[in-house]
Amino acid sequence: MFEVMGLVKKSGLRGDLFVTELREKSVIYEAGRLKEYSVQEETGYGLRVIRPDGRVGFYASNRTMEPQVFLNGALEVSEFGDPVFFDIPSYPAFLEWKDFVDSKIEAMDIHEMVEIGEYLVSQIQGEYPEVCVDLELRAGWEGKTLVNHHEERMHFARTFFRIGVTVNRTTSEDILEIYAERSWGNKDINLEDLLQEIKRKLDFSKSLVKMRGGRYPVIFTPGGSLVLLYPLLYGLNGKNVVLGKSFLQDKWGKVLFSSLFSLLETSHEPWTLGTCPFDDEGIMTQAEKFLVENGRLEEGFFDLWSGSQAKRSSRGNGFRPSYRHLPEPTFATLKMRSGLRDRETLLEELEEGLVVDSVLGLGQSNVASGIFSCSVQLGFYVKDGEIQGRVKDVMLSGNAYQALRDIKEISRDTRWVHGRMLLPYVLVEPLQIEA
Amino acid sequence: MKSQLLELVKIPQHGEYLEIRLERITSALIRLQNGLVEKVQSGVEEGGYVRVLHPKTSWWFNTFSGWNGVRERVEVALHSVSLLPAGGRGVTRAEPVEAAWKCEVKEDFRYLPLDTKVKLMQEYAQIMRESAPFLSHCSVEYRDEWREIYIANSDGSFLEMGKPDVSLTFVAVARKNDRLEVYRNGVAERGGFEVVRGQESLAQEVGRKAGALLEAPSFEGGMCDVVLDPVLAGVFIHEAFGHLSEADFITRNEKLQKMMLLGKPIASPLLNVFDDGSLEGLRGSSPYDDEGIPTRRTYLIRNGYLTGRLHSRETAYLMQEFPTGNARTVSYHFPPVVRMSNTAIEEGVIDREELFRDIDRGLYAVEYIGGNTALELFTFSAAYGYRIENGKIGEMVKDIVLSGNLFRTLMQIDAVASDFRWTQIGGCGKGEQMGLPTPTGSPHIRLRGVLVGGHKSV
Repeated sequence: MFEVMGLVKKSGLRGDLFVTELREKSVIYEAGRLKEYSVQEETGYGLRVIRPDGRVGFYASNRTMEPQVFLNGALEVSEFGDPVFFDIPSYPAFLEWKDFVDSKIEAMDIHEMVEIGEYLVSQIQGEYPEVCVDLELRAGWEGKTLVNHHEERMHFARTFFRIGVTVNRTTSEDILEIYAERSWGNKDINLEDLLQEIKRKLDFSKSLVKMRGGRYPVIFTPGGSLVLLYPLLYGLNGKNVVLGKSFLQDKWGKVLFSSLFSLLETSHEPWTLGTCPFDDEGIMTQAEKFLVENGRLEEGFFDLWSGSQAKRSSRGNGFRPSYRHLPEPTFATLKMRSGLRDRETLLEELEEGLVVDSVLGLGQSNVASGIFSCSVQLGFYVKDGEIQGRVKDVMLSGNAYQALRDIKEISRDTRWVHGRMLLPYVLVEPLQIEA
Repeated sequence: MKSQLLELVKIPQHGEYLEIRLERITSALIRLQNGLVEKVQSGVEEGGYVRVLHPKTSWWFNTFSGWNGVRERVEVALHSVSLLPAGGRGVTRAEPVEAAWKCEVKEDFRYLPLDTKVKLMQEYAQIMRESAPFLSHCSVEYRDEWREIYIANSDGSFLEMGKPDVSLTFVAVARKNDRLEVYRNGVAERGGFEVVRGQESLAQEVGRKAGALLEAPSFEGGMCDVVLDPVLAGVFIHEAFGHLSEADFITRNEKLQKMMLLGKPIASPLLNVFDDGSLEGLRGSSPYDDEGIPTRRTYLIRNGYLTGRLHSRETAYLMQEFPTGNARTVSYHFPPVVRMSNTAIEEGVIDREELFRDIDRGLYAVEYIGGNTALELFTFSAAYGYRIENGKIGEMVKDIVLSGNLFRTLMQIDAVASDFRWTQIGGCGKGEQMGLPTPTGSPHIRLRGVLVGGHKSV
């Protein structure tokens, strides 16, 4: 399929061919027992061409076809696009990078995966016989290759290992569901740490407590802090900026948030699931880039298209969800800068408030304006510095941009969420709670 | 292909259940942003899966690109599945069926020049942009997709299905200073290009609604009586109740089974809910599900009693009930799991107006932005709403989120109107399988004493 780029060059076009390869093995446990072993293999090709008049064509397929047929598919589409004002980059010949491929993951077989599955199930059910455990383990290898119209080629591959555990405890009055995950690029996932998180959540949920509605301080766990980040990431998205959908579009360089809050993109972080030397349109990614520094809005995510529209350059933020898609601006790996004190201290000093670990309904409010209004899926009521129990039927609402201003403290301890966001515990005061 | 696949499914000799799916997806996407053509994509994709259940072990599932090497994959699968640890699973077998079914469309979008599609979208974009002041952004997104599906299984069944799906989405963003309002609406159907023609007034309405939302105040939140329009009521029954009636949630959890015991009073006696994949012309319909089981109507709630649930072959086997034709997959990348098809609240007898009459202070919640559920907990957002004061519909309000406990809320329904209608836009996600078409239907319904999350201006 690479020959198509020779044809692109010969036809006086610019363009790139994006090739993805995926090999994945997974085991799925249902209620503590193995349900399914699954193998996935996929290779796909996405061809983007830019004509001399700037119009873009795109065609995607997962079957091999004649180069001319493939190119014609893209050219047919190019009749209709509006002209773009960016160029497909040249790929550097002098830079070198290493793949993040763990041979232990590649070699992992079903017996090893089942062993891990059985271990996790037995550890949880041994201590909590009343719960039901669903589990998913995925291990695999993914590679991406880019070829441009100069017929330069770049390739990068990484492995991944993901474990997701859902624990369900049903009584006649209540259904509790707890989710915990660990994802990483190599096999070094700390199972004990995952088990501890699950056990801690189960223990804290032993009793149900009521709380009254009102304004309270709230501690977001690393997973819970997505409530605050979700609208912010929407606003930082270069496409939303260009299209007039971002609250942040005219606020670059301004101090908008608490000085405690800094958010960085670190695209070369080893073994994260976002790590990559170049993005999906051939732009080199940055080792460190501040999006927000001490509360000041620095930069958003731009791909080539949105960057050219906004008169900013792309710094490696054009990613494609699959070979079937054109690039969209997003991030590779994110870090929220941690604070100085332990999460235990934040909790101990809380007179009365709520710990929010997960919510239901993220992004279903007016995200563009920063508004969130979600039910707390897993949350704990705190009184006199101690967790009293789990709360139910409680809603949390506010404006994420305001809440980021109202950050009172950020913990020292952090955790990788989905293997690509390193997040601390965040204390925000006050937030509105309906109960 | 038919004879080859039918030959392959005869290979298993030890009681294994084997299922093969081959699929070709031809699709196009056109997206206009602020009148400019941002994206035109088209493509064709082929792939398939082989899955096997061994009576003594578990499932083996292999998904792959292309249609080659199916025989080898079947052989590998049959060998490998026997080596898996014991799982204690099984499937209900069915009578063999052979059927070829293709949805008829008026204007087959596969043979329509892209030019025709793009021009129509440009017209809509123009109309929307001129529909209201303060619009900072308008987008028009058109998608079409034709799936050719071939399924063969150990029952000796062979199915060939042709499923078109077409959708059009309008999004408008209105902006005044730092306040942004987004409104979206569209059409989606199992049909041809004719579906997206003649949508000029919808394009205009979307722009106007976004503009109107800028002026509307936020709803304050709190407990109140709520009337749901058919769109939102449909989402409510899908999210809050429908997912719990998918049997795979409860097959392995005895406590949940007790909670969802058939025959148990679960809702207000006014409530009747069904799922029906056999209805003609809806996006969730087809004569057979993805495991080759005929689709049918299943009553989930009748007169407030829990009367049924949705099954795949496997959940039916595990619970010793019958498959209902609800095993669906979004594509060959995933095995079929229990999903809703077309789910609805059956119409009642009273007029819509009656629902508002005896509410002193309440909320009329209209359309939706999104919804989510975690077993008994649910939450969903209305696109907008109106205050109800002294039985009358009043001022437009926004930022409305309804949430609650399923079992309590189902009991709080105290009126069901007679103005039933289907809503076909949107898709449902379960696990990794996102965007499955699951139409919902309902008339207006009324809920007493619901927790509504609003937004207090800061």
